[in-house]
Amino acid sequence: MPRLTERWGRSASAAAAALLPAAVLAILLPRVSAVLAGQVYRLEANWIPSHGMNFGFQLDGLSLLFSTLIVGIGLLVILYARYYLPERDKGGRFYAYLLFFMAAMLGVVLSTNLLQLWFFWELTSVSSFLLIGYWHHRSDARRGARMALTMTGAGGLALLGGFVLIGQTVGSYDIGQVLSNGHLIQSSGRYHAILILVLLGAFTKSAQFPFHFWLPHAMAAPTPVSAYLHSATMVKAGLFLLARLYPILAGTASWFLIVSITGMLTMLIGAYQALLKHDLKGLLAYSTISHLGLITLLFGMGSALAAVAAVFHIINHATFKASLFMAAGIIDHETGSRDMRKLNGLWKHMPITATLAMVAAAAMAGVPLLNGFLSKEMFFAETLDQSTLGSISWMIPVFATIGAAFSVAYSLRFIHDVFFNGEPVNLPRKPHEPPRYMRVPVEILVALCLIIGILPEYTAGKVLAGASTVVLGGQLPTYHLHIWHGLNTPFVMSVIAMFAGGAIYYGRGRIFKLQTFFPARDESRLFDDAMRKGQHFFRTLLDHFDNGSMQRAVFWLLFVALVFMMVPLMELDMTIGLRPQIPVDFVMISGATLLCVSSVATVIWHHQRLLAILLLSVVGLVVAIVFALFSAPDLALTQLSVEVVTIVLLLLSLHFLPKRIRNFSSPTIIIRDASLAVLIGGVVGTITFALLTQPFDTISGFFTENAKSLGGGTNVVNVILVDFRGFDTYGEISVLAIAAIGITALIDGIHQAKIPSDPNALGWAIDKHPMMLSVISQAMLPLAIVVSVYIFLRGHNLPGGGFIAGLITAIAMIQQYVAQGYTWLAARMPLNYPSMVAGGLLTAAMTGLGAFLWRQPFLKSWHGHPHLPLIGEIELASAMVFDLGVYLTVVGACMMILSRLGRLSSSSEAR
Amino acid sequence: MILLYLPILLPLATASLMVMPALPHRLRYPTALTGSLAQLAVTLLLLQGVLDAGILSAQTGNWPAPFGITLVADLLSAAMVVITALMGLAVILYAQPAVARAGGGPLAFAHVLLAAICGAFLTGDLFNLYVWFEVMLMASFALMTGGRGWRAVKGLTAYVVLNLLATLCFLMAIGLLYGLTGTLNLAHLHLQLALVDGDATVTAVAMLLIFAFGIKAALFPLYHWLPAAYPQLPIYTAALFAGLLTKVGVYSLLRVTTLLFAAHQAAILPLLLVSAALSMLLGVLGAAAQGDVRRILSYHIISQVGYMALGIALFTPLALAATIVYLLHHIVVKTNLFLIAGLMRHLGGAYQLERLGGLYAKSGLLATGFLVAALSLAGIPPLSGFWAKLLVIRSTLDAGHLSLALLALAVGLLTLYSMTKIWQAAFWHPAASPPAGTAPGAATLWMGAPVALLALITIFFGLGIEPIFQFATHAAEQLVHPQIYVKTVLGG
Repeated sequence: MPRLTERWGRSASAAAAALLPAAVLAILLPRVSAVLAGQVYRLEANWIPSHGMNFGFQLDGLSLLFSTLIVGIGLLVILYARYYLPERDKGGRFYAYLLFFMAAMLGVVLSTNLLQLWFFWELTSVSSFLLIGYWHHRSDARRGARMALTMTGAGGLALLGGFVLIGQTVGSYDIGQVLSNGHLIQSSGRYHAILILVLLGAFTKSAQFPFHFWLPHAMAAPTPVSAYLHSATMVKAGLFLLARLYPILAGTASWFLIVSITGMLTMLIGAYQALLKHDLKGLLAYSTISHLGLITLLFGMGSALAAVAAVFHIINHATFKASLFMAAGIIDHETGSRDMRKLNGLWKHMPITATLAMVAAAAMAGVPLLNGFLSKEMFFAETLDQSTLGSISWMIPVFATIGAAFSVAYSLRFIHDVFFNGEPVNLPRKPHEPPRYMRVPVEILVALCLIIGILPEYTAGKVLAGASTVVLGGQLPTYHLHIWHGLNTPFVMSVIAMFAGGAIYYGRGRIFKLQTFFPARDESRLFDDAMRKGQHFFRTLLDHFDNGSMQRAVFWLLFVALVFMMVPLMELDMTIGLRPQIPVDFVMISGATLLCVSSVATVIWHHQRLLAILLLSVVGLVVAIVFALFSAPDLALTQLSVEVVTIVLLLLSLHFLPKRIRNFSSPTIIIRDASLAVLIGGVVGTITFALLTQPFDTISGFFTENAKSLGGGTNVVNVILVDFRGFDTYGEISVLAIAAIGITALIDGIHQAKIPSDPNALGWAIDKHPMMLSVISQAMLPLAIVVSVYIFLRGHNLPGGGFIAGLITAIAMIQQYVAQGYTWLAARMPLNYPSMVAGGLLTAAMTGLGAFLWRQPFLKSWHGHPHLPLIGEIELASAMVFDLGVYLTVVGACMMILSRLGRLSSSSEAR
Repeated sequence: MILLYLPILLPLATASLMVMPALPHRLRYPTALTGSLAQLAVTLLLLQGVLDAGILSAQTGNWPAPFGITLVADLLSAAMVVITALMGLAVILYAQPAVARAGGGPLAFAHVLLAAICGAFLTGDLFNLYVWFEVMLMASFALMTGGRGWRAVKGLTAYVVLNLLATLCFLMAIGLLYGLTGTLNLAHLHLQLALVDGDATVTAVAMLLIFAFGIKAALFPLYHWLPAAYPQLPIYTAALFAGLLTKVGVYSLLRVTTLLFAAHQAAILPLLLVSAALSMLLGVLGAAAQGDVRRILSYHIISQVGYMALGIALFTPLALAATIVYLLHHIVVKTNLFLIAGLMRHLGGAYQLERLGGLYAKSGLLATGFLVAALSLAGIPPLSGFWAKLLVIRSTLDAGHLSLALLALAVGLLTLYSMTKIWQAAFWHPAASPPAGTAPGAATLWMGAPVALLALITIFFGLGIEPIFQFATHAAEQLVHPQIYVKTVLGG
């Protein structure tokens, strides 16, 4: 919607954007009292019933608290951003992303089932990616966005793993069900896996050490985004998750150790780093990390009161941190800088903003009368109560006080450095107060800090109680929210922290100096470097295996094939089956020897192309003889004619290739490849031998029995080709056709590219068209065509058929080309080969489709014996038309390839 | 059942018409488009038929199985042909600006390819499957060279040689299986294989077959042909290949492992599992090191195929359903990503990340389309990829492989990282000056429409996942219990 209204300016898009949160607020407010009284609103719809999942929202105390924060601060941010965004940015896209993010956040806190929660969780990652990278022309914004997405995305995936495990343990993804079955999870063996995966998700999202580094870099976002994401929403999602799953995950020693130690470390590191930052937003970012650590620590302690304190601090942190970010944004906006070394003495120029910021900073430091003080007191009280660490439990309150002291120090720095401490240094703009309404959101938030701080029981009390009840699974401990608890140990700790903080701030010069001894670290650089190094490492690793060399690729392929087949063969102990073996005679032995010798010879002399092709043709001829020997005349004929056509085409193409290739492989590689080849041959041979000696029962009997009666032909092979398995033949002639057309297109491409033939290639004979050959071949042509027609016609009953006939015709015509040359023949035989190919294919298809006219399946054949006058009875079968299609395709395809090759060579000759 | 033939015959007839020199130039592209629309229509009718009446079969030439060639459509096959026809349509629309002037020549090959893919999905005969593989190979090679001459050939030799090796192994395996059982019909093989004694031989042959399909599916370590070839292709061809070719391999793996070798899974599945896991990991790592959009996407195919193979390797009904969901999702998303890469080139002037830039400002719609497809690939909800990944992960956890589930999650993260790399460099990073590429124009509309269509499918696939879940579950049941399939084919 803001995208649509942005043409009317920033205010219009802001107003449109405010509609959604306002509507949500309108839904929430009437239900507040009922929810606080313990009622739970649920709204559910069927989603994926087959996996037992509903899509639903539920409103209980905890989700009420969070959604109020999300919507309330969201509204303020929308108002604030209206004034923050530069004039030329109409804000449509910005508000669209912001609403997308807001909706995702609401989805997270209101979901009724874990997968749905995760669903929205990931959407918050994606939308925050878009928000952080909103100023995408800046490289820090892009890097920050990417780092945030990678880190929270990584956590998100871990979380998904955790959720799926929870779902499998409990048997449901419904949060209500899961919460009431906490004992199942804690007693299951997967508890630790679940805990770690879920915590990974929560900690990355809430920027806990050691995953905290993405958050400061996310400060490249526009300030309204930082104010929103890092106060009330994005980073709180992780804490929300801890709160949501508190009843089922908390209470164990591992929970305590992992969560509280992480929280403690994060709190201390964040607080220390915050003090060191010169950038205003950097300071706030690290202070956010520190406060998040504090809340995590509270959750980790595991006591009921600590959980209440955690929830309370979530509220307080959201209010004061959002207002501080906004104040920082105002300062940045009105002065053009965020560097605290330049920003000084702003008190004189913007007194109202300064007052507001000072109050908020005081709340952050935990000054009495402000909300931060109350939750900090509760925190101190809880740290004193810890005894889980045994005799070293005293360390917890000490560290807590140290953290608080740093917190006071950086708050002091924020106040003193920015608003006092001399005069501004070299600011790009002259500082002044912001527009009236830009300050309003800050005023509201600061007022909240004060009111909650002074009258906690009447303002936040009920909401806090409602939310804490849900976190603790129903039992609320007794506690009192007062501004004054009396002079007790927590108060003493507060006082110590105040003074220590002042001292630290006073001595900050020493700390800065100390820090110069450490090399400065840019996590974003480190992150990128780590990624780059990782990529490089894997690239080199992969290069061993995949370097673009085809020889290597083929080696791996065959190696895998070998392993795949050898493993099961190891178990085979008997290879010779029971089938009676045919006696071996001299013809077979000599044929086999010839076959072996010529194939090995082809491999040996493969770099002398002409020789290799000739040797290869020997292999082909022997195979043809084998077919003939084992009573397969059709196969023999086909093999023979295919052989002839192939060899002619190969010889023609030799003209474009170098005569010999050098052998590049090193001896080691040759030995490696040769042994692999031998092994593969051995394995395939073994399997084949094992199979051929098995007794064998096939479906081929059906074909021989029914060829005549059902297929209308006595030549079984042909009937199989054109009838029983005509569909295969149809596929194969398509292959032939595409090959022909593809090669034509390829050669045309080469033709256009004007690739000269290789100077080292085989030249043409001097006598180009020998007289003898041309005379004989001219005489032969009609004869050959008659033969092919004869072969075609008798094909259904005797060896022959469309395929063989087509090849014979093609050979006859090739002979003409060889004898007369391309130009001579092209002028005299203007045949359109592409039409022939396409026509052949269509003929075959139409024959098959014709069957549909008689409501028969594809390729159902018809045959009969009509009696013609004069000629007598002839045998006709529809399969013959199909065969005609085959014939046409074969002739067309062969001739197409040949004529293109011929044209190419004649043009290269001409040059 | 003419419906079983039409998805194959219509595109073949269209292709035959298109290569007829008699067909006027200006009619060629309309012919291709009409043929594609018609194919989509008949595949939808076929799917409807299967949903209504259960598994359908047709005996070519009315020769009873196992003697003739049977075509079978179960839920899986029917869904695959629908999605094939849909991708065909998308690519043919997209290719309009590129091929219309040339008379749409390459689209004839595209139609043959579509016919072959449908043939492979619908056939119930092992040798016929081989025939369609051959048609596919030849058509894809013709599409690759597509009149681009010498340079193309050099780059594509690897594709041809390695695929021929696969085809050869496939043929050998068919010969050996016929030697063992005396039949080629898949349903009949299912029965006959149970009678063969000598498990080791059957397993060895099964391995050979799986090896051949593994090459086709580009599983680790058999994938070399893929990244060598795809970046060389015209982008619409690459989109068609990327979406469909490897999936034919995955489909064939699914078919033979469930229908033929279910009894030999103990030997087959562990190898497949290892190969799947390594494919997932090494594919995504390979992608991380690339700087060309097409190369990045090519390596991701390998990684994603790993997820699908993982589903097969786990072999539970849920895992098989996961593979089916993954197949459907991935075909749409990967085709779309390649189409988007083409548009990026069109508007940004390059495929190399360092030369691209500023596309976000140039076309918000393209950026949206890319985000949808890329996030779906990475498995971000609510897009289709999320559900596919979730199902795979659930089934790995069900099978007790926690480490594999973690691996699947980590690969998802790396995929996301890799997608943000493209996003940052091509969309957010400011354009190099002077900005390369053309301004959006009429051509962009032809190219943009299919991208938008596929992106919408990805979104709706994700939002309305329930019917797809149910469909996949039923399809997986048909695979796990092949009795109905066998009965439909062989009768009785």
